Amino acid sequence: MDKLANKLRQDAENIEANVSDELDRRIRASLQGVTPANDQHAVRPPSRHAGFWWASSLTGIVAAAAVIAIINSQQDAPVPQAKPAKLFAAVPTIDLKTETAVMTSPLQQELDALQSDIKKAERRVREEVGL
Amino acid sequence: MRTETQLIAAAQAGSADAFADLVKLYRDRLLRFLLTRCASYADAEDALQDTMINAFRYIRSYDPRWRFSTWLYRIAIRNAGKLRSPDVVELGDLRDEENDPLLRCIRASETENLWVSARRLLNDEVFAAMWLRYAEDLSVNDISTALDRSVSWTKVNLMRGRKTLGAAMNETDTKSEAYG
Repeated sequence: MDKLANKLRQDAENIEANVSDELDRRIRASLQGVTPANDQHAVRPPSRHAGFWWASSLTGIVAAAAVIAIINSQQDAPVPQAKPAKLFAAVPTIDLKTETAVMTSPLQQELDALQSDIKKAERRVREEVGL
Repeated sequence: MRTETQLIAAAQAGSADAFADLVKLYRDRLLRFLLTRCASYADAEDALQDTMINAFRYIRSYDPRWRFSTWLYRIAIRNAGKLRSPDVVELGDLRDEENDPLLRCIRASETENLWVSARRLLNDEVFAAMWLRYAEDLSVNDISTALDRSVSWTKVNLMRGRKTLGAAMNETDTKSEAYG
């Protein structure tokens, strides 16, 4: 062993420390009031009787069987079918009267003629409405 | 006379007397260690009592793969650590030459006790590692278990501690020679 290790060991032995009788009594007295805790430091509930587990398992199986039976018994009943709602009943249909444009002149002339027709139609509507 | 294994089994079964007999071998050594970390002799005694109570309370969690002394030291170090928690007044502030329990318990010798220097120069964990290695002869593995540190950390810090204390020892020797 080297010099440092020897010195450290010797110096540790030079520290005088002894547990006094009074401290010994104190420690023993305090130990009497202590109960060793369980390994996991947790309080475990006492184990149930084996019959308890059988009873709970059977109860679960019976409950599941009852639910399955009820569901199966309800499958024969006719399933009500909803009638399709007439969504377009209230909406008036618009009768579109369209005519195919017959192109007999150049496009610009056709456009001018169409705009003139629109203006005439507008004027006629205004006259009929009374504006 | 019951063996340590028998005493442990009896203590695990709840026998406080068996536990008290079991720790009889270790009490003085633990007290000596706690003196190096407490502000007063009374504090060290209280820390020892707490260590014993906690050890008995958790005796059922003791793993026989460990040495019993390693397991006890682990609890003692934790207890000593609690004494030094931040909400407690710094122990270093309370220390004075007259009341220092370590200085009071050191037998007069020609040279300065190196553990006094160690306490001044090393931090708590390195001090504990050095103590367990050189005062208690624990293996590096046992020390790492007691300190809850890796083996490599333990090796490195033991080496650093040795270096620091070696320098302190050489300095003391030089002074002694100089004064004659």
